[in-house]
Amino acid sequence: MDTTGFVTRRSFLGTSAAVGLALAGRRYVSSSAGRLEAAEAEAAADSSGAGGKAGPVIDCHAHLTHHSRKDYQERDRKLIEAADKLGIDQLCCSILTPRRPATADGFRQCNLWVAEAMKRFKGRVLGYCYVNPGYTREALEEIRRCVEERGFIGIKLYNEYRCTEPVVFPVVELAIELRVPILHHAGHGHYPFPNQPRISDGGDLAELGRRYPEARLICAHIGGGGDWEWTIKALRHGDNVFLDTSGSVVDEGMIELAARVLGVDRLVFGCDMSMTAGVGKIRGARLTPEAKQKILGGNMRRLLEMRG
Amino acid sequence: MIIDTNAYLGFFAFRQLRHNTAEGLLRLMDEKGIDRAMVSSASAITYRDAQAGNEEVAAAVDSHRDRLIPFAVINPAYAGWKDDLKICHEQFGMKGLRLYPKWHNYALSDRPCLDLIHEATGRGMVVSVPIRVEDYRQRSWLVDVPDVPLDEIVALVRACPKARFILLNGIGYTRTLLGQKNGGLPANYWIEISRLTALLANEVGELVSRLGADRVVFGSGMPFKYPDPSLLKLEVLDAPPEVKQKIRSANAARLLQPQR
Repeated sequence: MDTTGFVTRRSFLGTSAAVGLALAGRRYVSSSAGRLEAAEAEAAADSSGAGGKAGPVIDCHAHLTHHSRKDYQERDRKLIEAADKLGIDQLCCSILTPRRPATADGFRQCNLWVAEAMKRFKGRVLGYCYVNPGYTREALEEIRRCVEERGFIGIKLYNEYRCTEPVVFPVVELAIELRVPILHHAGHGHYPFPNQPRISDGGDLAELGRRYPEARLICAHIGGGGDWEWTIKALRHGDNVFLDTSGSVVDEGMIELAARVLGVDRLVFGCDMSMTAGVGKIRGARLTPEAKQKILGGNMRRLLEMRG
Repeated sequence: MIIDTNAYLGFFAFRQLRHNTAEGLLRLMDEKGIDRAMVSSASAITYRDAQAGNEEVAAAVDSHRDRLIPFAVINPAYAGWKDDLKICHEQFGMKGLRLYPKWHNYALSDRPCLDLIHEATGRGMVVSVPIRVEDYRQRSWLVDVPDVPLDEIVALVRACPKARFILLNGIGYTRTLLGQKNGGLPANYWIEISRLTALLANEVGELVSRLGADRVVFGSGMPFKYPDPSLLKLEVLDAPPEVKQKIRSANAARLLQPQR
């Protein structure tokens, strides 16, 4: 066992006062020789509002394993271990039904398992309530139960409906009432996504955000949703739509472009189970330590604090 | 010492690349602690005449040969590939090939491709095959280029047992014969880690366990990709230092040694 290569939570991403140095990889910024990179770092710093206060590293997009898999406990434990290794303090998790569109019984069962995991991994796992908006009454009841009684932190919507369809609006209105964010699956390709005819994209989420300016929406996985340059540009004017940095795609410059176009205050760190990709792209981005701290946890913390 | 088996210079037709000059890439390598890199032309992926990209790379690396190791992009379906191979090897000192069968519209099993691999192998060159250039979900409306299916790689390594292949930008090897301990394939291929997982499913660890630490090599895909995720995989991989050292550089260094 190579103990020198084993990174501990606090030493790797860091959650202490030294967070800006350790987690953001200051050497990447300070040793950068290029004028472009310096300008990007400065621009990102300028766009920040709340300063670089240290705080927890929060993965805004994670999934626990559906219990139809016999090894779900092992897989969930490995997720926590991975978070430990990478210095991720909290994981915002949902469980999706294996087959979609989800039935009401299906999403209720998933949310019950998430609630169990929140107890099993107390303080580490935060819960998103996953619903299919097509079951309006059941979905609204489930969201209220999960948020008010079980302490869930937000709502997860997938691709059962495009987010601009009216059937989704009651869910958004309840999210506003409960003061919780919605993490919405999204992607934009130049060819149809197979099996996802109603997938939302950044443009749809920006439109939903304009319709509901009080809502706080998170556009999922910029690194797993197709043409990320398109998505970033589509979100430019959607001020209440945050962008989740997760996904397996680690194209160089992705995070810097998002910071430049949207501002670092609208970026929230995530992995969506691509753990080293999720952390590595933030580590590699040419942004200030303060900007990285906001992305890694500060911005998500603000979203979580909406509920008080 | 870190040797990156998966790096590029030049332009890509569908997205702006940064750090894509020799000087820019070297600055990035310095920042990340990467000592040497096998580089080929990104432009040659979409140039009709790939040799123009090879000429650009040869000129770019000329004063940096201690760190940038040039690889040639050769299209065996294009006129003059034998001349191009000879020039790339003898004049440009290129150490290996990068093949793009889907982008250049030929099959790995085509006779000219097998001839190219045979000739390159005879010259002691390594043959690398990027399974993909970028994520298929973001492909341009202009082109619809699929990934190279791993079963085509299986057939290739069988067909060319004396060649030495580096498989770049791939994933899912453990679900194929390529990732099986007793898959019946010649041990003539090395697998690069830039798209593999080192946590959760941990395909890097699985491949080390099944194929041996001698068969996995470091690569980042820079400057298409941030090099940091691959570097991070080395950090978090649950493996002894000697295994990491093989992945980090020793295996790649051995591939670069002159062949008899």
